[in-house]
Amino acid sequence: MSSLLAEALAVAAKDLRTEFRTRVALNALGLFALTTLAAVSYTIGPYRIAEADRPYLLSALLWVVILFASLAGLDRTFVKEEESHTAPLLRLSAGPHAVWLGKLLFNLGLLAALMVILVPLFIVLMGLPLVLHFGWLVAVLAAGGFALAVITTIVAAIIARAMTRGALFAVLSLPLLLPLVIFAIQGTAGVASGEIEIVHQSLRAMISFGGIMVVVSAALFPVIWGE
Amino acid sequence: MGDGIRIEFSEVGKRYDERVIFRGISGTVKPGSILVLTGPNGSGKSTLVSILCGLLRPTRGTVKYLVGDDEVERWEWRFHLGIVAPAMALYEELTAHENLRFFARVRDLKMDDDDLNQILETVGLDPRRTTPVVGFSTGMQQRLKIAQAMLHEPEVLFLDEPGANLDPGGQDWFEGWVAAYAAAGGTVVLATNDRREMQWGMNRVELAG
Repeated sequence: MSSLLAEALAVAAKDLRTEFRTRVALNALGLFALTTLAAVSYTIGPYRIAEADRPYLLSALLWVVILFASLAGLDRTFVKEEESHTAPLLRLSAGPHAVWLGKLLFNLGLLAALMVILVPLFIVLMGLPLVLHFGWLVAVLAAGGFALAVITTIVAAIIARAMTRGALFAVLSLPLLLPLVIFAIQGTAGVASGEIEIVHQSLRAMISFGGIMVVVSAALFPVIWGE
Repeated sequence: MGDGIRIEFSEVGKRYDERVIFRGISGTVKPGSILVLTGPNGSGKSTLVSILCGLLRPTRGTVKYLVGDDEVERWEWRFHLGIVAPAMALYEELTAHENLRFFARVRDLKMDDDDLNQILETVGLDPRRTTPVVGFSTGMQQRLKIAQAMLHEPEVLFLDEPGANLDPGGQDWFEGWVAAYAAAGGTVVLATNDRREMQWGMNRVELAG
C-alpha cells in the first residue's frame, strides 16, 4: 500500500473513530434528513402527486433532502480540527494530500451511511417508482454522492478558519453544487421513469464533474491547508 | 540524529493587518544548542515559534533549515521537527495510545504497540494508555504532547512553555531529557518566561512586546 493511501486511511480511520464517539456530524446529517423526510412524507406522501409527475418531483425532493443534510454535517471534518486546536499538529504531522484524501474518504463514508438509511426509507414512504433496475439508482447515487463529497470537502477546508463558517459553507458550496444536483435529479428521474439515455447522460456529467473537482481540489488543497 | 539541522532566520517580521507583532528578528540555532525566546505576554513568542516551524509565513524576512550548506525545502521541514505547544491539542476523544498510533501512522513510522507503550512509559503515562485524553489532567496532556513530539526522533524540537502544568518530578525529568537531546546533536528552540527554563540555553532572543 502506498504511503499516501496508508496515511489517508489513518486520517479517515481517526475521523471515523472520533465521530463514532461524539456523533456530532452523524446526528446532524441523520436528524436533518429524517426530520425532512418525515415532514415531506406526512404532508405529501406517495399519493398526492400525479403519477406522471412522480419521477421528477420525487427525485428533486430526494436530492434536496440529501443536499441540505450534507450541508448540515459534512463541514465538521475540518471545522472540528480548527475548533479543537488539533489542526496545527495535523499540519505538521501529515502530508496535505493525505489529509485531503482522508477527509474525503471520511465524508464519503458519512454520506454513504446517510444514503443507505435515507434512500430505502424515501422509496418506501414516498413511493419513488423504479422502472429501471435498482443498480442504476445505486450508480446515480454513488456518482452524485462522490461529487457532492468532493465539493463539500474542499469547501469545508476553505471555510474552516473563517469566523462565519456556517453561512460561508452554504454560500460557497451551493453555486458549485447546483449543476451537480440538476444532473443527479435528472439521473434519478431517468431511473424512476425508465429513460436509460437520460441516466447515461447524467452519469457521464456527474463523473466528469466529480473528476474535475478531484483534480482542482488536489491542486488547491495544499495551498488552502498550508496557510 | 545525523548531521543535525541548523536554523537561520533573518530580519523576520510578522504583522496582522495594521498590528506589528515583531520585526527585524534574526538568529541562528545550531545543532546541539538551545535557543531561548523570551518576552512579555503578547510579544509574539508563540507566533515566532509558528513561523520557525513552518506553520505561519513571516510578513518579512526569511527562515532556512540547513544541513551543512544544503537547504531543506520548506515542505520537508515537518519530517525533521517535533513540537510541544499549548496551542496545539491532541485528540481528546482518543486514548493516549490511539493518539500516538495515529501520529505514527500519518508519519509513516513502523512502530508496533510495544514501541508506543515504551514511549508512554518514558513520559509516565503507561498506566493510563487506554484512557481517553479528555479525562487527562493538563499535566498529563502535556506529557502526551511530549511523547508525540519525540515519536519520530526529530532533529529539531520546538518547545513553547514546555514545563507548564508539569509537576516538579516531571519538570526535572523533562529538563534532563532536553539536555540529553541537545547533547546528542538536537536543535532546540524554547519559548518561555519561566526563570528555570530560561537557564537551559545560552543563546537568547528577547522579544520586546
